[in-house]
Amino acid sequence: MTVFHYVLKRSIANKTSLLILFLFPVVAIFLPSGEYWPHLPYGYQYFGIFILFISLKLSGLILEDRMRGIAKKLSIAPISHFSYLAQNLLAYFLILVLQCLILVYGGVFFGKELYQPFWLLILFLTFSMASIAFALMWISFFRNKEISMLIFMSMISVIALIGGVLIPIELLPEVLQKVAITLPTFWLAWGIDWIIFGGEVKEFLLVNGMLILYMFLFLIIGSVKKLH
Amino acid sequence: MMRVLRTIPYTLIRMSRDYITLLLLLVVPIILITIFYFVLGDMKNQYGDLAFYDTAQLMTLVFQLFGGSIVIAYIQDDLFSARRQRILVAPMSLPLYALSISLCGMFFSIFLGFLLVLFTGVGLNVEWGNVFWVMYIIALLAVLSSLVSLILIFSVKNIKLAERLSDVYGIGCVVLAGLFFPIPDYPVITFINEYLNPLLLAANAISYAQSNLFSDAYIYMFRLGIGIVITFIIVYVLGRRKI
Repeated sequence: MTVFHYVLKRSIANKTSLLILFLFPVVAIFLPSGEYWPHLPYGYQYFGIFILFISLKLSGLILEDRMRGIAKKLSIAPISHFSYLAQNLLAYFLILVLQCLILVYGGVFFGKELYQPFWLLILFLTFSMASIAFALMWISFFRNKEISMLIFMSMISVIALIGGVLIPIELLPEVLQKVAITLPTFWLAWGIDWIIFGGEVKEFLLVNGMLILYMFLFLIIGSVKKLH
Repeated sequence: MMRVLRTIPYTLIRMSRDYITLLLLLVVPIILITIFYFVLGDMKNQYGDLAFYDTAQLMTLVFQLFGGSIVIAYIQDDLFSARRQRILVAPMSLPLYALSISLCGMFFSIFLGFLLVLFTGVGLNVEWGNVFWVMYIIALLAVLSSLVSLILIFSVKNIKLAERLSDVYGIGCVVLAGLFFPIPDYPVITFINEYLNPLLLAANAISYAQSNLFSDAYIYMFRLGIGIVITFIIVYVLGRRKI
């Protein structure tokens, strides 16, 4: 687990990154609640977008390895590509797990109305997995960290809007509602609705199942070995 | 002087080929505004106007706040890192060249704003009122954002940090204006929004002019102008030390 260890270290070594990683969930706890919508406080409603950005920022390390030729050195080192990727992704996931824990149980501690905190945590965790896989796929299209981040930003603002995270999905025209089903954020928004209004367990399983399915899809595309 | 003037067309060509800036500051707002056009539809605000008009105007102004990133990128590349040595040996005045890049950046940002006004006005039938007044306010906002970015790049050593801080400036204005979530009514925040937040100053100047309350519109324009004067003085002092 050497790679895991060092990825973790690199991710939080820098003071600014440490601040960004752990200050934001704390701030998000204290954001106000909306009047009619969203039903969860704003910090929780928007946390999905935050998870997407953090996973891209974290997986920037892999892109950096590829650009600086470390990936080449690793390919002749006695470590398999699978092991390298798995340890990287595991480290990112661990950081996101910590953030989700801080957010959800911090909210419980300060008496925020979260309906079903445990299921909310599970939902955020599956979404984190999907979004890390998505980030892995995303960086495989680029050779420059900044450019990947900028294009990601423009894309996220659109899919967050269409996916029903920023505004309720019922407001969108029907065509866009149908398009939205293909976006992971749609399933996140649906999961949040389930947590608030309750419903059959089957539905929640479907939401998480879809997110995990997305994870596998993105992983398959993103895990191709790249040596530039 | 003439030599610097001769670089201007090339600076403009470079900017117009910077596809990522175009994507972020032109294509994304067009997509977002179009989605809001469908979402808000015929919804009315409390004055009986279409709610979409306010949103489209605010979105257009919001993206002017991020126009300063153009100036940051070019000043950084040409004067502080990649091309610094080459520019230094070029037979032209460095401060004048810095000025010309900054002016080109501001002009480009204003031009993108004009395209957005054109798109919302002609394509989506948003009522903007007097277009010249609107363009004047957008120009003030773009100049102010660029000056703020210049202050950041001159006062912060780390370029990454300067870029992030300019994002903080833009996003901070948006958050304080209450576009993401309603902001509580603390006196401090009300004061900032009334006197300091450039986004709301510009939005108010435009909306008061639309309802023909020019005395109010002039007040907000005047506050923006004061902001520009103050930031310009700071840029002048800092810039003389750095360049």
